Amino acid sequence: MSRPPRPTRIDPRGARFTASVTAVLLLVTVALGLLGGVAPTLADRALQPAFLLLVVLAAIFVWSAAAGIARNPWSALFRRLIRPRLAPPAELEDAAPPTFAQGVGALVTLVGVVLHLSGVPYGLVAAASAAFVAAFLNGAFGYCLGCQLYLLLVRAGLVRRSPSTIRA
Amino acid sequence: MDPLLALAVVGALVVVSTALGLAWRSSQGRVRRTVTTDAVALDGVELAAGATLLQFSSEYCSPCRATARVLHELAARTPGVAHVELDVAERPELAARFGILQTPTTLVLDSAGRPRARIGGAVRADQLRAELGRIVASASAVSA
Repeated sequence: MSRPPRPTRIDPRGARFTASVTAVLLLVTVALGLLGGVAPTLADRALQPAFLLLVVLAAIFVWSAAAGIARNPWSALFRRLIRPRLAPPAELEDAAPPTFAQGVGALVTLVGVVLHLSGVPYGLVAAASAAFVAAFLNGAFGYCLGCQLYLLLVRAGLVRRSPSTIRA
Repeated sequence: MDPLLALAVVGALVVVSTALGLAWRSSQGRVRRTVTTDAVALDGVELAAGATLLQFSSEYCSPCRATARVLHELAARTPGVAHVELDVAERPELAARFGILQTPTTLVLDSAGRPRARIGGAVRADQLRAELGRIVASASAVSA
């Protein structure tokens, strides 16, 4: 069975919807994390509601970063249930920028998972809050994480591409 | 944690994020005039007679594509104005030299290559057009 090719052009409203749902779930994680605190033993920490929710969100981030934003479950929900009820999009956008942002989300939430398992107080809350701010700004304001973060990687010398022709 | 306190913290997080978002949005596309006598000579970039729109873009950046389209159209319709797009990953030294912190960032260079204005974020065509008029007019006043 051959996999369908990864779509490289997506409806930008789908990406905004995905970011908004993610932001709400991250905010719930923050609230649960504040209420539950950090349990004394590792086994208890691994069963705390905030931790379980963050693990699910981290898994979704990893999956969408690897398979593309279009395969994110909320994006699929948007395509099935919401997009048929909307007018066609004014234009399609490249899937690479939101997929990059999913990768950043994966990194941040996985840090939260590790911090919580290690018993660091407020580690989960801090990571989920950081991920929330990015997802919220993306969903509500159209903020583009790849526009700034990727540039920082470039300027730190971590990303480099050989010059091609200048596009004029 | 006390549920009321937790609720207050979550509410504060939303309020702070909203303030951040509003500040970010109002900064996007704003034309800032730059005061410099330092001409920019970039290899591979040919300056136009009126103004050159030097756009810094990156790979994971949706507004870069929209801005490229706006600038391309503006340059095509305005005599003496050219649009040049650079990828920061290919020219990191230029990103460092001009202190580029976000993409797209557009520098408006006059005919001598001096940066006269700088626009961070997606460009708004009407604002840029007004600024271009000023720059091209001052250039022709000097040469007249």
